[in-house]
Amino acid sequence: MKYVPKEIKEEVNVTAVHPLVNFGYLLGTVTLAGVILYASLGFIAARLATRIGPETEEKIGNTLIAGLISDPESASDDRIIYLTALAESLTPQDPSLPPLKIHILQPETASEDDLANSENAFAIAGGHIVFTQGLLEAVESENELAFVLAHEMGHLHNRDSLKAMGRSLVFLMLVSVLGQGQSGGARVIPATINVANLSYSRSQESAADRYAIALIVQHYDHGGGSLGFFERMQQQELDLGALNTVTEWQSTHPLTRARISRIKQIAAAQNWKMQGELTPLPEGISCVDFVCED
Amino acid sequence: MEFIIFIALLAIGFFAGSYAEQKHYLEIKQRERKSLHVPLMNFGAKQELPYAHEAQMFVGSVVIANDYFKTFAATLHNLVGGRVVVYESLLDRGRREAVLRMKEEAIAWGASQVVNVRFETSNIGGQETTRTPAMVEVIVYGTGIR
Ligand SMILES: [Zn+2]
Repeated sequence: MKYVPKEIKEEVNVTAVHPLVNFGYLLGTVTLAGVILYASLGFIAARLATRIGPETEEKIGNTLIAGLISDPESASDDRIIYLTALAESLTPQDPSLPPLKIHILQPETASEDDLANSENAFAIAGGHIVFTQGLLEAVESENELAFVLAHEMGHLHNRDSLKAMGRSLVFLMLVSVLGQGQSGGARVIPATINVANLSYSRSQESAADRYAIALIVQHYDHGGGSLGFFERMQQQELDLGALNTVTEWQSTHPLTRARISRIKQIAAAQNWKMQGELTPLPEGISCVDFVCED
Repeated sequence: MEFIIFIALLAIGFFAGSYAEQKHYLEIKQRERKSLHVPLMNFGAKQELPYAHEAQMFVGSVVIANDYFKTFAATLHNLVGGRVVVYESLLDRGRREAVLRMKEEAIAWGASQVVNVRFETSNIGGQETTRTPAMVEVIVYGTGIR
């Protein structure tokens, strides 16, 4: 057989598609899939936030709290017992919600000590309420401490914490429930959610305030002094502008004149007394186990 | 800002990459035409080899780098699946260039044909962990006879 040289003209090994056309197709497909995924995540998250069962919520909460406090289980502080009793006296535990767990964020044990020193309190899904050491040093009467506590209980009651997590809730739930364990979860959380800075809508804040003032009036027979903490905060807000630690509170709890007056309006409409005798705080509320060293 | 850099890299990758590719293809086609008279043949184990006075092994190898545009397009292909069209021309160029280098050397030596040609491909760089763009080396070797 004789070899006859013949040039092969057609390119069988390279698909005849312009690279930009191919690229456009790729980009289009991926973008479309991304949009669909994003939309469906939002849809799923909104459904989840209202339908998650208490056990699942607790698992999510444990994952979240593990990212904030190094060893939440072993924390023993008599102030936690006092605050838990205070919460119980405001309203008994709702059986459809996870049991209430109170934490105190100390600068020494918290993962961020700036947060622990700021005057802040926040609710985390799964029945967790976190008070910062800074807040416990700032409160002046039990009434105002109880209002802050009741406000956070209001957020838990309305599941605001779950709702505010939005799309990250879907991932968080997968991480928590599929059980990578708390250590695995804790590594994921700081990147996705800043638990102390979840932003609630104005209406969620108002609902929590309404919930809180009702509990306070029921417990103390009046709402007097319960807004003292807010009023002092507002004073400082006016004096110092946005340059101090108060801004921490403001970002989580927009603290405006309007908010205080709205609470007072609610009280007036219900004919609730807004003056009365203040209940003092237990001695040493600003120190661990109520024991102050100096 | 990062997005602008990214778009710039893509554009550089695309324009520089397609310019280099077009030039390379023109060159490959021209050289292929010139070396067409020497056939490449493969023989089975029990087939008789053509008679030869002399035989020598010739190796042609080439490393072809990927460009940023191709890398990105291929990453998207990883999500979508299907033929990675952008890599087809990359490997095609690599194989043909390597064959040409081997053949041209054999022709210079005076080969009448090159028998039992084999291809090898290896990946240089482009590990998942380092995220450097992939480079591919193609080696072609065969026995030139005269
Ligand atoms: Zn709030």
